[in-house]
Amino acid sequence: MGAFELNTTISNLRSLRESDLSPYDAVYLGNIYCRIFEDNFLERMNDLKEGIARVKDQGLRAYLTSYAGPRNDALPKVQMALETAVAAGADAVEVHNLGILRLLHEQFPGLPAHIGGFANVYTDAGTEVLKEYGAVRFTPNYEISLDEAEAITAGVGIPAELLVHGKMPLGVSDYCFLLEYEQHWPEKCPVVCQKQLFLRQGEWAMRSVGKGVLSGKDVCMLEHLSRLLAAGHKVFRIEAAYETPGYRLQIARIYRATLERALAGDGTVEESVWQAIREHTAVGLCNGFYFGRTGGEYIGRRTEAAAPAESSLFCVLRGEQ
Amino acid sequence: MIELLAPGGNLEMVKAAVERGANAVYVGARGWSRRRDAYELSDEQVRDAIGIAHSGGAKLRVAINTNMQSCELPALLEKMEKFVSWGVDGAIMTDVGAIAQVHRCFPQLVIHASIGANIVNNEDVKFYRSIGVSQVVADTKLTLRELAARKADVDVGIEILIHANNCYTYLGKCWMSPYHRLERTTDDFGKDLFRGSPNRGGLDYRVCLEQWELFDDKALLEPHVALKNNAFFYLDDIPALIDLGVHCLKIQGRGYPVPLVAHIVGFYRELIDAYRAKPAEPFDLTSWRLRLEAIRAERDSRRSNMTLVLLNEARQPVPHRA
Repeated sequence: MGAFELNTTISNLRSLRESDLSPYDAVYLGNIYCRIFEDNFLERMNDLKEGIARVKDQGLRAYLTSYAGPRNDALPKVQMALETAVAAGADAVEVHNLGILRLLHEQFPGLPAHIGGFANVYTDAGTEVLKEYGAVRFTPNYEISLDEAEAITAGVGIPAELLVHGKMPLGVSDYCFLLEYEQHWPEKCPVVCQKQLFLRQGEWAMRSVGKGVLSGKDVCMLEHLSRLLAAGHKVFRIEAAYETPGYRLQIARIYRATLERALAGDGTVEESVWQAIREHTAVGLCNGFYFGRTGGEYIGRRTEAAAPAESSLFCVLRGEQ
Repeated sequence: MIELLAPGGNLEMVKAAVERGANAVYVGARGWSRRRDAYELSDEQVRDAIGIAHSGGAKLRVAINTNMQSCELPALLEKMEKFVSWGVDGAIMTDVGAIAQVHRCFPQLVIHASIGANIVNNEDVKFYRSIGVSQVVADTKLTLRELAARKADVDVGIEILIHANNCYTYLGKCWMSPYHRLERTTDDFGKDLFRGSPNRGGLDYRVCLEQWELFDDKALLEPHVALKNNAFFYLDDIPALIDLGVHCLKIQGRGYPVPLVAHIVGFYRELIDAYRAKPAEPFDLTSWRLRLEAIRAERDSRRSNMTLVLLNEARQPVPHRA
């Protein structure tokens, strides 16, 4: 790894082909929420093989991700995806389910495990257990603060991967509630969940992806990258599984440039980038739980950046640093 | 023998549950379980609950099933040492690190993997078995077929929630509530209560039950959508669960009034005993269904009122923390 790793998530081959990955160092392949998501890499072994090859041909690391809530009937397919990933030269597997971690450790002990955000890493003691099962990296549960994540890293000695931009997962389900309504809409499963669907009530908003709920606001840690680097963090994720290739590219370019400036000793953020950030958020920005507060809050100097392009209705603004 | 496990949201409830026939009662250690602190017990009350349960021939389990902070683990172990010395019969836990540490320190203690561990497949069960868990609470979304496969494949005790909520999301993998409101409050003993986080502190504002509107970007698609979150009672499946050989039928409801919980416990005690008395004969559930409807009506009324209170609480500003 270089000075840092910037990675993202792509669910299928179509989206991979449409995406310019030049600002990235690595890509997670697969959709963790739904087995029937349009041509999900985790269900299509030939696509997965081609996807891994495409990513690696660009000089990037290719990671397989895996389901957040796999029931028994999904395990044979998970097994096939692991076998395919190993044969195709994947660099690691992200696991959100401890049963899959156990399976990976038993059957593919040479393949590094990245612990995903749904695996519920809250404590250093828990991370120690997962390390014994082959974990080399962990995404802290989204509910824990940076201070807690850093205590885990310091205590256990494996790096944290931080979601620095994008919609934060808030929950996963086995049930797609969009199927109850899709008969009224022109789009149907398996593409309906890719619409920009928001659950709103008053000032509240969440993004729905059918079998999952994401934050309505985009997590944005742009103003805090220097602090993250100073704390020793090196692995950063742009969460874009349900975003457009344009989002994936523009946001990553901004983060790559800002990280490189910060590494060179310039901790400022280019003024010009805020307009692009605003254009790519429908509801506003937040910091998730990184500062130990309500997940939908935004803390930073550029509080106006937390407002969406046309309205500040859905934002909680705090001008504190 | 199948075990009927009842909630103990206070000492009066523990006593009532034992009197109505519960084989075991679970209580939450204050600040450490998946329920708000009003329905949890102080350490001394846990000791008293152990005494009440044991004197009535029942077991007492303590729930320490929040996802705590790393720095809180030593306090958890101190607490467990006390509970074990007082004769607690089991611990209900979620965090894999806490489970592993408690198992190392108290290898004889029965550890139950909480519903918050979200154990959804047989490989999951094997993982938790490997770190010291001997019984697991089955996720409410699992089917009888999945439970049968678990029973056949893994040597583990299976607990079934027979009165609980079936959330839209998997329990333990949802943080919608603290995304909207999280209040950091430390109790008198230094435990962060994480109010608003069901995983970390137990209080869930039930924001999923809000009357949501569904938008496609800025266009209103549906004026009323609901994320399913149904409170349920098992009835028709009880005979099949007993026949399957599950170890425990668990009633949730620490936050409900004592008379209602006593009523629920008594109902299930009688149902289990009636079925077990004549296992070879056809079992007619008609009269049981009628009895359950009355209980359900009271539970639904209580639950609806509580949901409104919680949704209102979720919209209150968070006090600034010094």
